[in-house]
Amino acid sequence: MHKYVIKRLLMLIPVILGVSFLVFFIMSLAPGDTARTILGEDAPIEAVEALREELGLNDPVVVRYARYMTGLLHGDLGTSYKSGRPVFSEIASRFPATLKLAFWGMLFAVLLSIPIGIVSATRQYSITDSVSMVLALLGVATPNFWLGLMLIIAFSLHLHWFPSGGAEGWKALVLPVITLGTGCMANITRTTRSSMLEVIRQDYIRTAKAKGVSRNKVINKHALKNALIPVVTVIGLQFGSLLGGAVLTETVFAWPGVGTYLVNSIKAKDTNAVLGCVIIFSICFSIVNLCVDLLYAFIDPRIKSQYK
Amino acid sequence: MKKLVSVLLAGVMCASLLTACGGSSSTGSSNTSATAAGGTESTQTAAGKTTINIGVKSDLTSLDPHNHNDTISAYATRHIYNNLVKLTADNEFVGNLAESWEFKDDVTVEFTLKEGIKFHNGDTLTSEDVKFSLERQKESPKIGHLVSMIDNVEVVDDTHFIIHMNTPSNALISSLNHSGCAILDKSYTEALEAEGKTLESAPMGCGPYKFEEWIPGASFTLVKFDDYFDPETAAQNDKLVFKVIPEEAARTIALENGELDLIVDANTTDAQRIRDNASLALDECVSTHVEYLAMNTQKAPFDNKLVRQALNHAIKKDDIVIAAIDGEGEAFDNYIGKAAIGYYDTAVKYDYNPEKAKELLAEAGYPNGFTFTCYLAGEIRARSATIVQANLAEIGITMNIEQMEASTFYEKTGKGEHDACLAGWVANAEPDNTYRPLFTSEKAGAGGNRAFYKNPEVDKLVDDAATNRDSAAVQKDYETILHTVSDDAIWVPLYSKKGLCGRNKDLQGFTISPISMHDFYSLHY
Amino acid sequence: MSAEKTKKRSMAVEIWQRLTRNKMAMLGLAILVILALGAIFADVIADYDTKVIAQNISERLQGPSAAHWFGTDEFGRDIFARILHGSRVSLVVGLISVSVSLILGGSLGAFAGYYGGRVDMIIMRIMDIFLAVPSILLAITIVAALGTNLVNVMLAIGISGIPSFARIVRAAVLSVKDQEFVESARAIGTSNATIIFREILPNCMAPIIVQATLSVASAILSTASLSFIGLGVQPPAPEWGAMLSSGRNFLRDAMHLTLFPGLAIVVTILALNLLGDGLRDALDPRLKQ
Repeated sequence: MHKYVIKRLLMLIPVILGVSFLVFFIMSLAPGDTARTILGEDAPIEAVEALREELGLNDPVVVRYARYMTGLLHGDLGTSYKSGRPVFSEIASRFPATLKLAFWGMLFAVLLSIPIGIVSATRQYSITDSVSMVLALLGVATPNFWLGLMLIIAFSLHLHWFPSGGAEGWKALVLPVITLGTGCMANITRTTRSSMLEVIRQDYIRTAKAKGVSRNKVINKHALKNALIPVVTVIGLQFGSLLGGAVLTETVFAWPGVGTYLVNSIKAKDTNAVLGCVIIFSICFSIVNLCVDLLYAFIDPRIKSQYK
Repeated sequence: MKKLVSVLLAGVMCASLLTACGGSSSTGSSNTSATAAGGTESTQTAAGKTTINIGVKSDLTSLDPHNHNDTISAYATRHIYNNLVKLTADNEFVGNLAESWEFKDDVTVEFTLKEGIKFHNGDTLTSEDVKFSLERQKESPKIGHLVSMIDNVEVVDDTHFIIHMNTPSNALISSLNHSGCAILDKSYTEALEAEGKTLESAPMGCGPYKFEEWIPGASFTLVKFDDYFDPETAAQNDKLVFKVIPEEAARTIALENGELDLIVDANTTDAQRIRDNASLALDECVSTHVEYLAMNTQKAPFDNKLVRQALNHAIKKDDIVIAAIDGEGEAFDNYIGKAAIGYYDTAVKYDYNPEKAKELLAEAGYPNGFTFTCYLAGEIRARSATIVQANLAEIGITMNIEQMEASTFYEKTGKGEHDACLAGWVANAEPDNTYRPLFTSEKAGAGGNRAFYKNPEVDKLVDDAATNRDSAAVQKDYETILHTVSDDAIWVPLYSKKGLCGRNKDLQGFTISPISMHDFYSLHY
Repeated sequence: MSAEKTKKRSMAVEIWQRLTRNKMAMLGLAILVILALGAIFADVIADYDTKVIAQNISERLQGPSAAHWFGTDEFGRDIFARILHGSRVSLVVGLISVSVSLILGGSLGAFAGYYGGRVDMIIMRIMDIFLAVPSILLAITIVAALGTNLVNVMLAIGISGIPSFARIVRAAVLSVKDQEFVESARAIGTSNATIIFREILPNCMAPIIVQATLSVASAILSTASLSFIGLGVQPPAPEWGAMLSSGRNFLRDAMHLTLFPGLAIVVTILALNLLGDGLRDALDPRLKQ
């Protein structure tokens, strides 16, 4: 088992290599001139040329990639083309805000949606089930910017309960967390419900019931545990994507996270900044996915046997 | 195995929670009382408030005046540093750090500095600082081109220096007003850079504000400098907090809430709402902006002047003003914004006349119209294009719209791949910075001339206007250019958007600038 | 051979019969049929040139009325007609892009989960790589390289969904692959591919159906984000995502601009979910009543 974990952590190296190569390649294919984007529309051509030269953008892709990788091997994520500051410190100053939002958003979603999913499954086709389904679907189909602005209008503009944006203090966290959590809830609720249904119908649950084990105990002890694998997968995927930043929510709530930084960097063709973000994300995703895979083994000992 | 999992999980959870708590407490401590309660206090107790909160659309890019060329960064650097000259509300250049200047000949200008001006660290401003700053700027890829006409700076004594130019230029004084020509403290900056630090990690100048804090993506803060030299432009508030709020609607709400005292560049959709709000005020001005459809004059069918004129007759600009900018501007016929230095009313006007347009098309040999593609970036331009498309359909022209991301747009139109494109221009204080990029053949394509207009006559006039010291002749040049390009109909000018800023109605001392060079030192309750 | 065919047909009939007994699933199916008919006969119900793209600035941003059931947009165009015609694009984008993710991601995930070991490690690490590529970057590049058209937009959205489906299908496969029916299939020498597609996948449909039906909504919403940076369907053609994103500016004054396209998405995925739930029950071998 330890071996498996170590092996997975070692696999981070090829993953990072793969990600950086792929993204570097995509960025070099993407249209747009970095120097022109940085200097703006009204800058003279000579200035653009001078900046291209200074940033080393006139070198062939391979040369630039080699230069980047040499830096990366020394633990250097390079400097942002746009700001001239180290990419690492730019990301580091924004990542805590993203982590904070992702964590609380996910916690909000999980705490609400798992109980709702269980209740819906145990009372399949009841009113509760239908209501929860419709709410879940509203959640997934509501664009974040819409929900976010509605919450701001209601709770900030009219009721004055929370600030309209920013990341100062716990009050500022409430509305973005609800906005982000609502979008994630739908998937977790629906997955919990349908996995529970699947498991409830299996023979051993019927056996347990027949043996006289109480209904709640059956659900909590037996059914839930076995229904968890898809649920944990979905939670892991959603948490991973939240760590990559939630652009729309960040924009609406002026939340200084990595999502907007990444999108702005992509638009500015700031290759170093994009690569830095992507490498850090891939480390995060890989760790989240590793945790999820380990949780499978924890939930279902049969899976454990495969992790050698 | 179970242990391992729980340890891992616990680790992850703790890490997130710690960061979460750490994050909230550290940013919480820098929080000021002004915003804490979501703004409930603001409307009642605005009087006597000494911290001014200003909403801006995006974050600054750099606090080093030589390392940026954008309006938002300039909000900070223009208040931390000073320039030699400044622009008055009447579009005149007067001394700021400079007491006076005199043109000795076409390429030599003698400057006198005001005496006893102190930097934030107590150093006294001298001619050496000016020489150092302008020479440092010349090295900057971002704004070095603004001072390319400067050959060298000769220091005469502590308060006298001479700028030698390598070519006659009318743009020198206006360039010195640009935020990029800020004057730095030589000894401070050199010492800082010798330590391997950058100026932007600890920006310091002789402006009315000292730098306090920058939280990337969230806010930047300036505090009043008490020893500022000029009582007229000294800070009338204690602190300026610029808050980055990218979402237009959210920025307006923060103003309505009282979380902000001022928003620069208010959303056109929200302008009427701000006007209607009894506790807010909307400042408006005619701007230097012009929005236009540029036709690629090197490509058929737009190489034909008659076709271009036909388009000028075919578009209902009033509809565009409503659909694109909610009526917050005016339909426009000229090629440079009304508030700009260098604006003259000599452009040929084309009325909305689809019949005339059809006749011109027939005369040009396209009686049944044609099909072309219009490139554009951005949502507002997409709205303009949708109207243009419908208008052109009425005279038999099919316009396909191709929206793209901004950097793609710059690249494709820079290379001349477009038939036509939608673009906009905001003129700054130097007319040469508008006329040269937009209309000269040297700037065709990526330089700004997206009509790929090539007219040696116009090139000559632009050059003359840039160097001729006779202001009447310069005016004549510009008047002729405007007439020529509009007669050649290289664009369809569409509209000019108003400058719009929203503020708390009790906030005093705000003057809206048509070129977004607002001064914030005079703000107070 | 013919016996096999008959068996297949009778199974399909049986599944269909079970499905028809499920009222909610039938409701879902009915809604989908109506949506599909609306899309097919959109031209008959509302003429494209005079209703969908015809502008009338003096009637812009009007609320719902008898003349305009869903109100008018910022150009004074009829929103009902635009939603109707927009369904042609949005339903296709939603269904095709999700199919791309489902087929590619699902197969990769199934193989990874079934074979385990090195195959699993390699496939899933490649998925980790893809997961880290920002979807917006992928979309900008694909569209810029191959052109702004619908196929490329579907491709971009579909490709970014592959890793999620791979992980979900893999997890589901892991949870059933050691059960008795798989073991017995293996014991009688059934080929691996047959085991995966005939034995395992039908038994882990629940999470896949949930993910697929919900992803249709996400895919349509992705077109909204894409149209926000100008990629996707170009004006004046209507599309739900683009309608949502352009309505964003008028949220406070004219909420119907975003409300109706939003509801259209909700109704679509509601129908897909109802049908999906019903299908899952109908396919469930344990539920033979």
